[in-house]
Amino acid sequence: MDKIRAYLDERLGLEGLLEFMSHKKVPIHRHSFWYYWGGITLICFIVQILTGILLLVYYRPGQGAYESVRSITYDINFGWLIRSAHNWSASLFLFSAFTHMFSVYFMKAYRAPRELGWWSGMILLALGMLFGFSGYLLPMDDLAASATKVGMAMLDILPKVGPWAADLMRGGVTVGDPTVQRFFALHVVVLPMIFMPLLGFHLWLVQKHGNAVPPSEYDTPVEERKSVPFFPNFMIKDLAMWLIALNVIAMLASLFPFQLGEQADPLKPAPPGIHPEWYFMSAFQVLKIVGKIIPGTPGEVVGMGGFTLGLILWVLIPLYDGKTESGVKARNAHYFGLLALGVLIITTIWGYAAL
Amino acid sequence: MNYPVWEVPGIGTPWVIGCIAIFHVMISHFAVGGGCYLAIAMRKALKENRRDWLPLLHSHSKFFLLITGVFGTVSGVGIWFAIGLVNPGATSALIHNFVFGWAIEWLFFLVEVSSIVVFYYAWGRISDKLHLQVAYLYAVSSILTLVIINGILTFMLTPGHTWLEHASDRNLPAYFWYAFFNPTYFPSLFMRMLAMMSLAGVWALVSYSRLEQSATRDQLIRWSVTWLIPAFLLMPVVFFWYQHQIPASNWHLTQLGMATIGAGTFTQITRIALLSIMATSTIAAIAYFFAYKSPKDFTTGHALSLLFIALMATASTEYAREAIRKPFVIGSYMYSNGVRVKDVAAYRTDGYIAHSAWAPSVSSKGVKYEEGRFLFRGECMSCHTINGYRSMKHLLGDRDDKAIGNILTMLKENKPDSPYHAFMPPLATSDEETDALKYYLLSLNHKLPKNPNAPIPTPETAKSAVKVAHS
Repeated sequence: MDKIRAYLDERLGLEGLLEFMSHKKVPIHRHSFWYYWGGITLICFIVQILTGILLLVYYRPGQGAYESVRSITYDINFGWLIRSAHNWSASLFLFSAFTHMFSVYFMKAYRAPRELGWWSGMILLALGMLFGFSGYLLPMDDLAASATKVGMAMLDILPKVGPWAADLMRGGVTVGDPTVQRFFALHVVVLPMIFMPLLGFHLWLVQKHGNAVPPSEYDTPVEERKSVPFFPNFMIKDLAMWLIALNVIAMLASLFPFQLGEQADPLKPAPPGIHPEWYFMSAFQVLKIVGKIIPGTPGEVVGMGGFTLGLILWVLIPLYDGKTESGVKARNAHYFGLLALGVLIITTIWGYAAL
Repeated sequence: MNYPVWEVPGIGTPWVIGCIAIFHVMISHFAVGGGCYLAIAMRKALKENRRDWLPLLHSHSKFFLLITGVFGTVSGVGIWFAIGLVNPGATSALIHNFVFGWAIEWLFFLVEVSSIVVFYYAWGRISDKLHLQVAYLYAVSSILTLVIINGILTFMLTPGHTWLEHASDRNLPAYFWYAFFNPTYFPSLFMRMLAMMSLAGVWALVSYSRLEQSATRDQLIRWSVTWLIPAFLLMPVVFFWYQHQIPASNWHLTQLGMATIGAGTFTQITRIALLSIMATSTIAAIAYFFAYKSPKDFTTGHALSLLFIALMATASTEYAREAIRKPFVIGSYMYSNGVRVKDVAAYRTDGYIAHSAWAPSVSSKGVKYEEGRFLFRGECMSCHTINGYRSMKHLLGDRDDKAIGNILTMLKENKPDSPYHAFMPPLATSDEETDALKYYLLSLNHKLPKNPNAPIPTPETAKSAVKVAHS
């Protein structure tokens, strides 16, 4: 064993790597629970990759899309399991990414020197949602095709670039086989190619700067703050969380497997109750509400504009609350966070209630 | 059918038993395994002079007494109550066969409960030797309760050829031992014993995790983990033996869900069996890495998670075990809807209603809707509900008269290649009754007059129709 270790160390510099990993200390305090959510997001992503590769074995984009997913779900041994695990882990991935984002926000972990971590995380989340949006269409059943049409119609609203981008993604003026082909390329090649290096960068930043302590710990003198080394102590706990996440995914996939709707038919009217996946529900509902207050295009522009503005403010938070101080700015940022979380939860529930 | 039907909307009657039984299994297995655990732990503490173990064991035995003595006994009686209401026909068949077995069971149970009370309250008041003897008495009597009940439980899956050949005899008790030591008796006994040992370990971990840090706590946590080892080593072997004893058609049910998740194809059993495997592997990982490797860091949260996963494993295994018995409630003797195999032919000629003691009153005879509803309650409701679990409304969807008729014909013909053959009882109704049942099923999703051919109702007929509706 020692010989192998020495051999690898000489060639790969393992000691250095272990040294790098052991630098990081994880603070222990009453909010430590929130540190797990980044790791949970990561394991969900790993499950996504593994199940995604397995789905690639049988999935056919384009014309045969629906038939191939039908066969995965109803013919191929354990195909339903892989597909359901892929869907459920996607939802869990986004849920934990949102939780991770809000915990970072409220612990003010975006403050210097961790701004790049916040921004890279925001891009990863946006990519994650794009993964979800593009993946949703791939089975090409009626609900997926109709919901994608609605999503594309939202893109159409954007001035100038909107219609152009929507046509580019659709591969025409309507959602059809060319759209599936394009979404497929986006889902399995383009997005992973951008996502993976960025994820590596994000993880490297976390390793480099370690976990941030929340403002509630600022008053404790540094020497009195408790912490455990990330490797191996915290990693074992992280792995336990991974095990729980895996169990949750397995349980959901087994007990509530995803069925498949009717094949999408452009000639048929849209099925009743079209709605996006839950992570787009809030945006969908906000646009619906604004649309009711200000009907027509102006309403759409106001809705999308308001949304974009809120998002920009959210992303730029490190710029106006970037230093370790508690004052008006910090408090305002906190209230802004609570408002965003409140709006997100309420409009999501409202969206489902209004279906 | 000699009994009225108990209707539970939403979850349906099987889940009434299910909820009580899963809870009871967790505790009753602890009661048996935990009894052995206490006796062996005590013997080890006394023999190896580890007297520091004793206060912790005392604390554990209080936990044990409360959990098993209160929740175990209450839920055990609850099962009795529930099975009598849910499937009175099957309960009656069991009583006719095993009345002697149950008498002994209650005797052992009495010894078990008394000895654990003595064991706990005599702590420190009697000599070590006598105390240990009480522990042994508890352990032995609790194992004997398993020895008895296991015969009755396994009988329901595999009654065995000899018993089945004589099942229609009046002199059933003469075949008691054939029914008792049926083909799955021994593998099931060993499987349960292994599960009991593991659960004793898991519950002990919950008990110790609440205690203050000490070297003794660490020792006992590590020792409790070793109680899980026999199950992980031997369970696959014993399970293979068990599977070998089950008729192939029953085993086949576990594989229905490999390829598909189509509605109404009884595929959930495969999915739930998978959960059982997943949960069991997780238990092994948590027990080893979190309890055995670092007993100091083992918290109540960890222990409760372990218990929760053990509950998941137990629930899914028990569900699968119950489900592979389909389409029977007592293998090859009585279908899950309480219809005896030998009665099917008579029900088809004379009609199910003619053989039912609780049939609709004369005035609603010939009222298709009411008759259909009665047949649904008698022949379908032991597994299906209207709106909730295995909902007929959902399963039938927008099927029309003809489509529902085809399904009923398929159920009646019950050909071996029918998709329902493996898990649904054959429909035991006369032709007119089948038509009435079809009408009722159609009415679930379509607006139909409740009484298409009936004369204008008189106060008398209306009253009896209401009476039937409430029976």
